[in-house]
Amino acid sequence: MFGEKAIELIRELHRASDGQLPAFNEDGIRQVLEEMKALYEQNQADVNEAKSGHSELISTIKFRHCSLLRNRRCIVAYLYDRLLRIRALRWEYGSVLPNAVRFHMSAEEMEWFNQYKKSLATYMRSIGGGEGLDLTQDIKPPKSLYIEVRCLKDYGEFEIDDGTIILLKKNSQHFLPRWKCEQLIRQGILEHVLS
Amino acid sequence: MSEAYVPVEAGFGLEEGYLSLEDILMSQERLPCRAETALPRLAAVLGKAGAEPLGSVPEGTKLEIPLWLAKGLYDNKRRVISVELPKIYKESWRTVFTADANVVDLHKLGPFYYGFGSQLLNFDSPENAEIAQTILQTFIGRFRRIMDSSQNAYNEDTSALVARLDELERVLFRVGQKGLNDFQSWEMGQASQITASSLVQNYRKRKFTDLDS
Amino acid sequence: MFLSDFRKEFYEVVLNQRVLLLVASDVDALCACKILQALFQCDHVQYTLVPVSGWQELETAFLEHKDQFQYFVLINCGANIDLLEVLQPEEDIIFFVCDTHRPINIVNVYNETQIKLLVKQDNDLEIPAYDDIFRDEEDSGNESDESEPSGKRQRFEEEVVERTMKRRQRREWEARRQEILFDYEQYEYHGTSCAMMMFELAWIMSKDLNDMLWWAIVGLTDQWVQDKITQMKYVTDIGALQRHVSRHNHRNGDEENSLSIDCMRIAFEYDLCLALYQHWSLYESLCNTCYTSASLKLWSVQGQKKLQEFFADMGLPLKQVKQKFHSMDISLKENLREMIEESANKFGMKDLRVQTFSIHFGFKNKFLASDVVYAASSLMENTEKDESGTDNFIKALDSLSRSNLDKLHQGLELAKKQLCAIQRTVASCICTNLVISQGPFLYCYLMEGTPDVKLFSRPISLCLLSKYLLRSFIYSTKNKRCKLLPMVMAAPLDIEQGTVIMVGIPPQTESSDKKNFFGRAFEKAAENTNSRTLHNYFDMSIIELKMEDRSKFLDALISLLS
Repeated sequence: MFGEKAIELIRELHRASDGQLPAFNEDGIRQVLEEMKALYEQNQADVNEAKSGHSELISTIKFRHCSLLRNRRCIVAYLYDRLLRIRALRWEYGSVLPNAVRFHMSAEEMEWFNQYKKSLATYMRSIGGGEGLDLTQDIKPPKSLYIEVRCLKDYGEFEIDDGTIILLKKNSQHFLPRWKCEQLIRQGILEHVLS
Repeated sequence: MSEAYVPVEAGFGLEEGYLSLEDILMSQERLPCRAETALPRLAAVLGKAGAEPLGSVPEGTKLEIPLWLAKGLYDNKRRVISVELPKIYKESWRTVFTADANVVDLHKLGPFYYGFGSQLLNFDSPENAEIAQTILQTFIGRFRRIMDSSQNAYNEDTSALVARLDELERVLFRVGQKGLNDFQSWEMGQASQITASSLVQNYRKRKFTDLDS
Repeated sequence: MFLSDFRKEFYEVVLNQRVLLLVASDVDALCACKILQALFQCDHVQYTLVPVSGWQELETAFLEHKDQFQYFVLINCGANIDLLEVLQPEEDIIFFVCDTHRPINIVNVYNETQIKLLVKQDNDLEIPAYDDIFRDEEDSGNESDESEPSGKRQRFEEEVVERTMKRRQRREWEARRQEILFDYEQYEYHGTSCAMMMFELAWIMSKDLNDMLWWAIVGLTDQWVQDKITQMKYVTDIGALQRHVSRHNHRNGDEENSLSIDCMRIAFEYDLCLALYQHWSLYESLCNTCYTSASLKLWSVQGQKKLQEFFADMGLPLKQVKQKFHSMDISLKENLREMIEESANKFGMKDLRVQTFSIHFGFKNKFLASDVVYAASSLMENTEKDESGTDNFIKALDSLSRSNLDKLHQGLELAKKQLCAIQRTVASCICTNLVISQGPFLYCYLMEGTPDVKLFSRPISLCLLSKYLLRSFIYSTKNKRCKLLPMVMAAPLDIEQGTVIMVGIPPQTESSDKKNFFGRAFEKAAENTNSRTLHNYFDMSIIELKMEDRSKFLDALISLLS
């Protein structure tokens, strides 16, 4: 049956149901494209044959054509779903992705991410009365200006606005302005402690 | 679950979601058909090789093909294939469903009972009206239990509860659980707690396996 | 210098600054820390909290942070050494020290600029007068007069005499200074709980809450559990806290205006001192509480018989008593305290009840202050998993919050295991006569391979073990002289490195003032024998020692104290 490799790609993505980005299956895409090329060429040949009298080939041509459409659908859905996941990373994690994630992205996807970042940044700069507004902050309505955070791993020095530096060592606790910490919490370096 | 990642939703009724991963998987399920004309050079592809891989599949052969192919080859004049109803949508099973919908293991029978069943209506079967009715009634009959169990299973192993649900029902169940968990966390005062992105946490766990592969 | 107005001289100074909190690893420090954190969070004072378990960690933390902070708050550490000498801070750095360790180092007392003590000036501080310890150098001024070519021979002779007199005076003064310092620093003891000091700060700012009051109570109870303060001080402090408890919790008596059951309330209790008894069975609690197990001599067969008699006397069937306390028949639990007290009196246990407090919130949750102390300290010294000291500190700190009941329960379970282990070890030490008299003190060494010995490689656990062992020994021995001796106990610390941990505890007498001379004694003995010791703990009476140097160290100690 045609389209087996294509459906495998979809299955792979569907398994990562929590929004994780699996590695870009370059090999898989290539195989699907190869299958599509073969189908297309076979159909081209058979169309010529059918035109010169072999009308019984029409059902076969139709068959292959459906398979081509199927493969296309699978690839487009695969790429699109991955873009949705990558977009989510910008909002959930931040604008600098960890290496582990970057290794899973293709060069084009990386490029898309950069463009998306730029668009978002431009937009955010334009709102908020000229000053700009960071929409990726305060995703949950804040309850207080300052929060207590605990350091989950050794991070080193961390600079806050007015130039002061804090040393983030494992198991140290800090009471800091919320907006400073949000990113580091989302990245798993700090833990928000509720008392 | 990561809140910023919103996958494309499955379609509704006769329409499929083109980009929906779920619908693509659903349309991979097979159904029984009959070839209404010979299909040259497709013997190997259709698993009927015998001696010749590029041989022709004769007219009248019984086939099992995926839904997407059936939809593509079908037309109302039935020139290429004609479609048969899978047995769970036939009369005998329909009576089972109407008798007691809750007893049936839709995961084993499906797992896309509702989605697939809705798509079947594209094939102009004379039983379409009954099929549609059965599917609807089954859903109505099972919905209450799904809602109840999703709202009352907190912090426990739900595998027994979801084992017999089809995919659409599982989505509903998860939605119910999410609502429950969100409420509980709000009640415990954790709603305002900023959490690490779930995308990141799992990457850390998987890092070593990725390096190995 | 001592601060008199904590609010103006401490809190308002740090109000708009960033502060580094260095917190010692004991329950009193944890409680004080929680109170201070609550105050800081209320007023948005940015702080960083670093747990420290000894002098080395204190120094390291200071060095790492000294460029980023100007204000340091030391909780339950730092008072008993010359901080400026050890840390060598820049001139603009200020230390606020809230510490129970006494005696307070004399430099810390008299430094006016950089060391601020958040300490109650109790009567027992006995600080030496300034002039007895410090002296301005005036002699150099007189020396220069010599250069004047004074013709008068008489004056020259007078000057010589003057100078000789001055030198003799100085030597006398120095000798007296040594004596005064020796007396002052000879005995270690503890002052008012840090948590109580912090609570007072909250109170004078009218920012005190019931939660903070509870932490103050737990801090004080920690001092009592660890036998750091005298009975009288404990009772006095309980009285002080009782006034606050009444103020915060008076609505409970009034039926009409009483609070919802979910609200937290604190109640005064004159309850049994049986460890964790409400979360255990009465039987196990009795067996594993030092006071009862020692008085009844439960390591012996007669002791076990006496235990049965004790229960029989109270009319409590064994089956009931061995059940979880909550499952005991309600009829038996009525008047339990009075009943037990009466029977206990007959068996020679007159102090089975103690003044303390309990906390209630919700229907299920009731804890005595001592329960929380045991739970938190066993979490802090947990040796079960190979987690670092700071991991345990964080767990213990979390367990003090009411929203982390699961951690508290975990701590209670660990505490039960610990108490059982202590009793087993005590029983085996007594039965195998492991406690020997070395003359001026008793000595006990836990060999490697003793069951549960890993538990006792931590300072608080080892101290608790030694105190229980001493008490049991006193009851078991017939030697009158031995009953008045202090005790030194040692256990293996790190087998690979070949080190042991050693603690010295004062003798247990009715009127003991809990003053401990082992801190200085250990120092001297180490000096005299060149033993490789590490005096890293904030309590000077706990040290680490190389196993090979153990015998010569002990010999030196014996001769020092004879």
